[in-house]
Amino acid sequence: MDRYLEPHQARRHEPTQYESLLGDAIERAYAAGTHDLAGLVAYLNRTGPGPQEGEVWTEEVYKAQIAKLAEE
Amino acid sequence: MTTQQPILTADAILERGLKNLWYPICPSHMIGREPVSLRRLGKKLVFWRDQDNKVHALDDHCPHRGAPLSKGIVMGDRIACGYHGVQVRCDGTVTRVPGSPGCKLEGSRPTQAYHIVERNDAVWLYNATENIDTPPPLVLPAELDADGEFSSFLCYTEWKGDYRYVLDNVMDPMHGTYLHKQSHSMAEGDNTAAFRIRDTDRGFVFEKEGQRDVNFDWTEWADTGTHWMRLEIPYPKTGGPGGNFVIVGSYTPISPTLAAVFHWRCRKLDGWQRDTWRFLYRNRLEARHWAVLEQDRVMLEDMEPDANQNEHLYQHDMGIVRLRRHLKNLAKAELERMQQGKA
Ligand code: FES
Ligand SMILES: [Fe+2]
Repeated sequence: MDRYLEPHQARRHEPTQYESLLGDAIERAYAAGTHDLAGLVAYLNRTGPGPQEGEVWTEEVYKAQIAKLAEE
Repeated sequence: MTTQQPILTADAILERGLKNLWYPICPSHMIGREPVSLRRLGKKLVFWRDQDNKVHALDDHCPHRGAPLSKGIVMGDRIACGYHGVQVRCDGTVTRVPGSPGCKLEGSRPTQAYHIVERNDAVWLYNATENIDTPPPLVLPAELDADGEFSSFLCYTEWKGDYRYVLDNVMDPMHGTYLHKQSHSMAEGDNTAAFRIRDTDRGFVFEKEGQRDVNFDWTEWADTGTHWMRLEIPYPKTGGPGGNFVIVGSYTPISPTLAAVFHWRCRKLDGWQRDTWRFLYRNRLEARHWAVLEQDRVMLEDMEPDANQNEHLYQHDMGIVRLRRHLKNLAKAELERMQQGKA
């Protein structure tokens, strides 16, 4: 390559299957107009995927896990 | 004997970039402990980090006989040239001439040094005309404030062609409706528009009349000690809360045929909304933004170098005309200062 053209500059690793499933679900919720945390958590509990730690999504669980995923 | 000096023109000044401005040079990760040679702003420059991680920059030209300093050895805030060991400090001073101690090169300051700051994941250089001790502050828009309300990611690319084609492209909101019709964010809006120019205290805004927050509807040009451009694109609903997506761009000539292109993609978000956007950006949005930016790159790289010598501009191009005139005036002023300095 004679010049710098790197499509992925923000990623630190290839997306995992779990991350992509979660991304799909969040985008579906957003597309349906669900832009509040309570609604998003309820949507995820209804459609999955579940949280990686714990049984169900709660607002606290979501905040903690998405903060981690945002920096991974 | 006379030496032939090339005749400098305002256009030649613009081609290599105006002096006495801050320019983004490269993403921070490109500079490490080993010296790196980069061509920017009509020069070859050497960059390295010292033991405190501070970035330094000098002309990549040894004051002795012109060997590249980038082939030398870093010694903290100095580089020892690989050819005969002359040591040049980060402020341009020669600290040692090992082959001829005490010679008059020692202690002189023959090399141009550049002030560097790191902001928003990029290395910025102050393109002074000569060695100066203190540069003016680097002022960036609120979207790039370290502890402001925005979250951002840098996208750095290199595009073939003169960087002024990149400026023209960003000062041309109407191309969003056509070039980016097939994209995740720019399918909306009328395909005709009337534009106007609105002055601001740091530059001007070129904007559609009667349409905002629908498509790519306006561009701001600003000079705050560095030249930058700003625009907003509405996100589709899938982009979640946080309103429009903001792009801050700044562009640096590498050579007349290559441009360093910096875009910071910003959103005004905090808490879980911010984290969710950052997660989605890394997982999928970055790829979609990349596809849109590639549409620009492919179009610009296919333009002839002299395309801008044979144009038929219309109302949508008022912003471009204004920006070119503004830059031309800045270049003429620089030319005048140079001629006065010589006289
Ligand atoms: S050219 Fe660098 S020391 Fe001689
Ligand atoms: Fe574009």
